[in-house]
Amino acid sequence: MSAAAQTLPLAKAETPFRRLAREFFSNGVATAAFAVLLTIIFLALFAPLLAPQNPYDLAKVTVLDARLAPGAHGSAGFVMWLGADGAGRDMWSAMLYGLRISLGVGVASGAIALAIGTAIGLAAAYRGGWFDALIMRLVDLQLSFPAILVALILVAILGRGADKVMIALILVQWAYYARTVRGSALVERRKEYIEAAHCLALPAPRIVFRHLLPNVVAPMIVVGTLQTAHAISLEATLSFLGVGLPLTEPSLGLLIANGFEYMLSGKYWISFYPGLALLATIMSINLVGDRLRDILNPRLER
Amino acid sequence: MVFVIRRIIQSLVVVLVMSLVVFVGVHVVGDPVHILISDDMTQEEIDRFIQRLGLDRPVHEQYFHFLANAVRGDLGNSFVHGEPALKLILHRMPATLELAFAAFLLAIVFGIPLGMYAGLKPESPASRAIMAGSILGFSLPTFWVGLMLIMVFAVMLGWLPSTGRGDFLTWEGLRHLALPAFNLALFKMALVTRLARAGTREAALQDYVKFARAKGLSPSRVVLVHVLKNILVPVVTVLGLELGGLIAFSVVTETVFAWPGMGKLLIDSIQRLDRPVVVAYLVITVLMFIVINLIVDIVYSMLDPRVRLKEARA
Repeated sequence: MSAAAQTLPLAKAETPFRRLAREFFSNGVATAAFAVLLTIIFLALFAPLLAPQNPYDLAKVTVLDARLAPGAHGSAGFVMWLGADGAGRDMWSAMLYGLRISLGVGVASGAIALAIGTAIGLAAAYRGGWFDALIMRLVDLQLSFPAILVALILVAILGRGADKVMIALILVQWAYYARTVRGSALVERRKEYIEAAHCLALPAPRIVFRHLLPNVVAPMIVVGTLQTAHAISLEATLSFLGVGLPLTEPSLGLLIANGFEYMLSGKYWISFYPGLALLATIMSINLVGDRLRDILNPRLER
Repeated sequence: MVFVIRRIIQSLVVVLVMSLVVFVGVHVVGDPVHILISDDMTQEEIDRFIQRLGLDRPVHEQYFHFLANAVRGDLGNSFVHGEPALKLILHRMPATLELAFAAFLLAIVFGIPLGMYAGLKPESPASRAIMAGSILGFSLPTFWVGLMLIMVFAVMLGWLPSTGRGDFLTWEGLRHLALPAFNLALFKMALVTRLARAGTREAALQDYVKFARAKGLSPSRVVLVHVLKNILVPVVTVLGLELGGLIAFSVVTETVFAWPGMGKLLIDSIQRLDRPVVVAYLVITVLMFIVINLIVDIVYSMLDPRVRLKEARA
């Protein structure tokens, strides 16, 4: 600490964000993962423009193309590089649309869970006492069961539908955020700047949101990235099992499930390529998250 | 002893809380008439059913009614099979346990040697490959790995059957078990590898290992006796806690490989809206979880007295 304090004035002023970026991109694997992730997000955002076919426009899809092998010419005139599924949809197009839904559901549920978990975690750390004890008991109880089991219980109770799956994913995830934020906030709360803020008689919401919150953002980012990958994987699993998103919202998990029956007859591409897309998404997010954790967690030696 | 009693009381509290959650989920959030009555009943039958279940009574009375029935093992009859839901679940349980224990064994048998090797030679290319593999093991969605295993070993190579279950401990049974057990084990294998690696790296620096080496023991004896013994306790404890996770995750593996266990039954029941079976599965699984956690905690406190003392102080 003292060594860092001595060298700091000599070093050029560097914003925290720039330092984060510099350290992040000094690692080759993390940089590659980040590039893959950006590409995936780009593909998902602009799927309707990039896909050669709208796979859910019944006028554009014909059963004549059903189960065409990768590289075959479809009847619409373009080459289906990744083949076609059982209904004659171009796999590449179906994957782009599926990626959109998978990422959308994962990111949206992650963001809502982050907001709820952070609010509850901050409140628990700031209030302390019985409220804190109650919340942490609840979190411990929930985290003692695997996420997949909690999610299955929830979809069994709530029923099917995109909104129900989102609610289940949020309820599964909030506890991770609450625990992380509470842990960091408890450490920050004992520091002098919070004491100083108390001495100035600042109102509690101002202390919590202007002083406490900015200082627990780092662990939130780390858990947020890793949890988003987890949410995408969980949604894909639920959809694969047939208890997740409905057939009208074909995420990657559903595409893989659709290809399952063809796999036994050797038509691997209907399941294989959406699986690769899912794998690339989850792995790139995990690698980016791991790198962020290494940088943002000063306790870990690098 | 105080510790054991305290943990048992805690577990009972968790059982009560979970029964409340299941009750609230089924009877308050959902419409109990909708959840517990099949769609093809006549109005007269429904009225009789409501009266039998006591759904016309106040909520707290309903809860005690539900508890009393659950304690007697009466969780309703399956709509699809017409048998008691609990009986159906218990009938499927051995298949799931067989799968879970096989996966558990695989995770230990492969995970510990791989992890120890990576821990002893952290810089070697093989160790890097092992660690990269363990990251893959964490990231790969279980169901997709299952599909790939079927594609390679059942469809392309034709070595192993892709679905179903053979008789217990026969050659056919083992052949059927191989793919699903490996699929289920993969995630835990990655976990064990990491734990064993971390444990080995830590142990290799300890004085007792240095001393064992200094007194001239062969390297294999140092590793296989002195190091292994000391990393086994944390690894087995964590794995014990993960046994419940294996049972929960078997839902995915059983569906992929059409393995006739409880997990497959759960998914089929959710899809067919066979709600009594879903409730029975939840009750059984939650109970199993609580019992496993309790046993692991008690065993761990016997192996490592520090846990017991810390809890007593708190």
